[in-house]
Amino acid sequence: MNYKSGICTFCGTGCGHLLDVRGDSVRGVYPLQGHPVSKGRLCVRGWNIHELLNTNEKIQTPLVRKNGKLVEATYDEAIGVLVDNLAKRKKNAADEVGFLASPRSSNEENFLLMKLARAVFNTNNISLDSDPGHRRSLNVMHRGTGMAGMLGSLEEISKARFILVAGIDITKQNPIIGSEIHKAARAGARLVTLDTRNTQIARLSGSFLQVRPGSYKIAMAYMAKVILEEFLTNADFIKRYTSGYEGFVSAIKTLKDGDVADKTGVDLAALKEVGRELARSDTAMVFFSSGISGFDQETIGYIYNLFLLAGKIGREGCGVNPITGINNLQGSYDMGIAPDLLTGFQQLSDATAREKFNKEWGVKLPAEAGASIHELLMAGKRLKAMVVVEHDESIIMNVNEVRDMDFVAYIGSFRNNFINYAHVVLPIATYVETDGTYTNTERRVQLSKKKLEPSKGTVPGWKLYTMIAEKAGAKWGYASPADVTAEIARLTPSYAGISHRKLEGSYGIKWPCNKENPNGTARFSLDGVPKKISFAPVDSSFRVPRASEEYPILLLIGEAQHYWHQNNLMKKTTIPLREYNATLLLYPQGYVALAPENAQELGVRDRFPVKIVSPYGSMETMVQVTDKVKKNTAYVAYFIHDMVTKFFLEHKDVLKRGEDATIPVRIVKV
Amino acid sequence: MYIIKEDQVTNIAQELHKEYQVYGPVLEKETRQTMFVKADDAGEIDLELPIPANPAKHVLFPQFERIMSYTYDRKNKKAEIKPDFDDAPKALFGMRSCDLSGMLCLDRFFLGQEFADEVYRNHRKNMFIVTNTCVEPFKQCFCVCTDSGPSAHEGYDLNLTDLGGEYLVEVGSDKGKKLAEKMSLPKAGDSHKKEKEKRVDRSVSLFDSLAKDNKAWISRVVNRVTTGLIDEKVWEYIGDQCLECGACTFVCPSCSCFNIMDPVTGADSADRMRTWDSCAYEGYSRMAGGHNPRKPVEDRRNKRFFCKLSYSQSKKYLRPGCVGCGRCAWVCPGDIGLPNVVTYIRREIQK
Repeated sequence: MNYKSGICTFCGTGCGHLLDVRGDSVRGVYPLQGHPVSKGRLCVRGWNIHELLNTNEKIQTPLVRKNGKLVEATYDEAIGVLVDNLAKRKKNAADEVGFLASPRSSNEENFLLMKLARAVFNTNNISLDSDPGHRRSLNVMHRGTGMAGMLGSLEEISKARFILVAGIDITKQNPIIGSEIHKAARAGARLVTLDTRNTQIARLSGSFLQVRPGSYKIAMAYMAKVILEEFLTNADFIKRYTSGYEGFVSAIKTLKDGDVADKTGVDLAALKEVGRELARSDTAMVFFSSGISGFDQETIGYIYNLFLLAGKIGREGCGVNPITGINNLQGSYDMGIAPDLLTGFQQLSDATAREKFNKEWGVKLPAEAGASIHELLMAGKRLKAMVVVEHDESIIMNVNEVRDMDFVAYIGSFRNNFINYAHVVLPIATYVETDGTYTNTERRVQLSKKKLEPSKGTVPGWKLYTMIAEKAGAKWGYASPADVTAEIARLTPSYAGISHRKLEGSYGIKWPCNKENPNGTARFSLDGVPKKISFAPVDSSFRVPRASEEYPILLLIGEAQHYWHQNNLMKKTTIPLREYNATLLLYPQGYVALAPENAQELGVRDRFPVKIVSPYGSMETMVQVTDKVKKNTAYVAYFIHDMVTKFFLEHKDVLKRGEDATIPVRIVKV
Repeated sequence: MYIIKEDQVTNIAQELHKEYQVYGPVLEKETRQTMFVKADDAGEIDLELPIPANPAKHVLFPQFERIMSYTYDRKNKKAEIKPDFDDAPKALFGMRSCDLSGMLCLDRFFLGQEFADEVYRNHRKNMFIVTNTCVEPFKQCFCVCTDSGPSAHEGYDLNLTDLGGEYLVEVGSDKGKKLAEKMSLPKAGDSHKKEKEKRVDRSVSLFDSLAKDNKAWISRVVNRVTTGLIDEKVWEYIGDQCLECGACTFVCPSCSCFNIMDPVTGADSADRMRTWDSCAYEGYSRMAGGHNPRKPVEDRRNKRFFCKLSYSQSKKYLRPGCVGCGRCAWVCPGDIGLPNVVTYIRREIQK
């Protein structure tokens, strides 16, 4: 049988597939019918994953920069250069050394990278390159329920009678989850989309409320207010299971109806009805994006509070579901890829947790939290040395700071622009060439088995990290990724019951998996929760970004067809790349989507060049005239080089706000 | 016509294995999914397995295939092109009649026109085909609506029908006859033939109760699809549900669209790869210069169903483009597998 089962590693859905493995390459892919999430479906990316695995743009040999040029080297030599450069900064590592990890790496690889940064090279400056979207969701969920992950279950979408999709183009970002939602709606569930743009899921919804940019929070607050005012809550549920209710009630009290209509731009009666339906429905789920275009923490807090108020948390068919755009984004946080976290959302500041790690690893971990790499770069603080793993974007944001560094190491399977700035390049095997586990958006830990020998003698990531650690004098001694998982299980309560042996032949286990839940946990459940779950503390500021006479248009930033941000992997395929290029060929300078009314006012047609002017800077691009955006809002896809490296950098405070990141601009004809 | 005992039927596969690479339905043990694949050992093939998740199309038209390589000699300014044909003899054992019908469509597309595709011809030319009659339909089947089952009536070398304890072996070619004689199979009689007809009739009658997932009353919509007299709104309704994944075309036994790419393999060399392509993709219909005559997704969906259901296309294939296997309904993340599309169009006609 040349077809071998595995896990798709593009997005956070974690679909099952069969790879057609012949000789030393993967010649095709086919969907896996028995997989509980994907049930025999794949999206455009998943159907073309063999193209990525056959690319000629893999990194083949270790490289070391000599006299300004990268030259081939042995692993031993390249690792030596890396270790020398990091070891000599060990004393000041907290200021000088950083690790930029990848949300695509397996749990084992990320765990070891985290261990390498902290236990070997003495720094807590470790973060993901997609920081910090998903972290905000995890903060809210963890604080409220103790579970730092999605509260619902993808398998139960068909059991939700009411589904709210908020600010996520889900049929593009996570198509198979979009499919499940669509199928639930076809089977009779009430589907409501709240978005600034008219997305595909909006067109498939029973109701679509097109909100003004930055007003999701107000819309959520208003629905909560309706539920309260019309006595649609279950007082018994609130009393028995929750705390912090009064705080939330007082936060939304100040909200005025007139304000809501003005700020959200939607019909109040319709919004009211949605609130009522949510409360009255037996079961309900909400889906929102959790990643680069995720919401700010306040909005997530409001979404969570609304669903808790409606009693739609902790039961079958219910849940608050932040959806990750990248395959192992959830797993990366689970593995402690954050300046202040250890594994399983254990806090670095927690001395007991730290002591457990110290004991297991035989070290004394630096206790003070580090900083995220993006924060350090954005703040203009000069890191001196950095290790970057499988960068997901092909454009480097803070390219000047990176260029000025004394030492940059790049570790990955596929070529990336970072190589141009690297002093050492270390290739690692692709995900089909080694065992590894990946945790999807619903906390499902799945084992992906080795299907091929690594090409041209490249070593798998877990082995490379072990080699680096041992060169630096540590004794790690892992013989396989299963050994690493065993260590993760020892140190991480939510992964305590997970092992490769247990995962083998299964479609994954959803953490927490431990003595109490040996087969994992389908969803967050109210049964047996030791303490009450709490409402998220939220503020009662309902400001929205306002356009002005000088800057009359609100600019939104988001993803484009088949392509969220500037995915490095997609560019190494043929058909998905062509689909991406279809947009780029039409709009070589990128595009700003503009409503027909605005286009007419400006006197421009589709593909006309325009200049976007904000209070901080300007950029030139082309116009895409579309009725998908409302008048006086414009949408710009987050993948154009100048946009990312120049224009947006001037707007760093705005960008931190994710999906709500809106910039008031003026658009002028060029 | 010959007879072979049920416990000996895989002997045919064993016999073929001497000369051919043998493909057939094999169970992937870990996931329990039936796949139509090259068997390492003919004993892996199991005729009792359900319809394979994948059609046999990939044997002649692989998902991803090198079709030639070229090198450039800089000094002498000479390019050398080497075709990479796979002409290994292949036997397809236990193929379902729907998948054979799909293959006949592919034959017409790749070989039946002015230009014959050499890559395809090389896969196809030494092929031995053994079909297997479906004595019971599966949930998603509707081959009775598309004239492609439950038993094959052309294009096979041997056709097997389970008569209970023994298989009827019908001969469709000289090659088939030679093999049956080489194996000294006993001749079948009239009673066997009658029993087969009875079993096929029974299978057809079981569609009502067993093949519940799909019904596709295709004849009613062929006219509409051919003339284009379908309300735009119906296509928009269909297009809105298309996630542009390409799955329906990849799993379709008769879809033949492909893309070509030339990855560079060295300083002076490159390969030419052929991969499956799909009319669901926007880039597929874009022309050089950027114009896209089928930019809206519904226009591209409309094209697919024209391919499967129109009379004009049937004239090319000499049969409907849809073979009634129901796989597109399995894999569609929207709700627009072909049977549903037929339903939507019929609904509009009835209005």
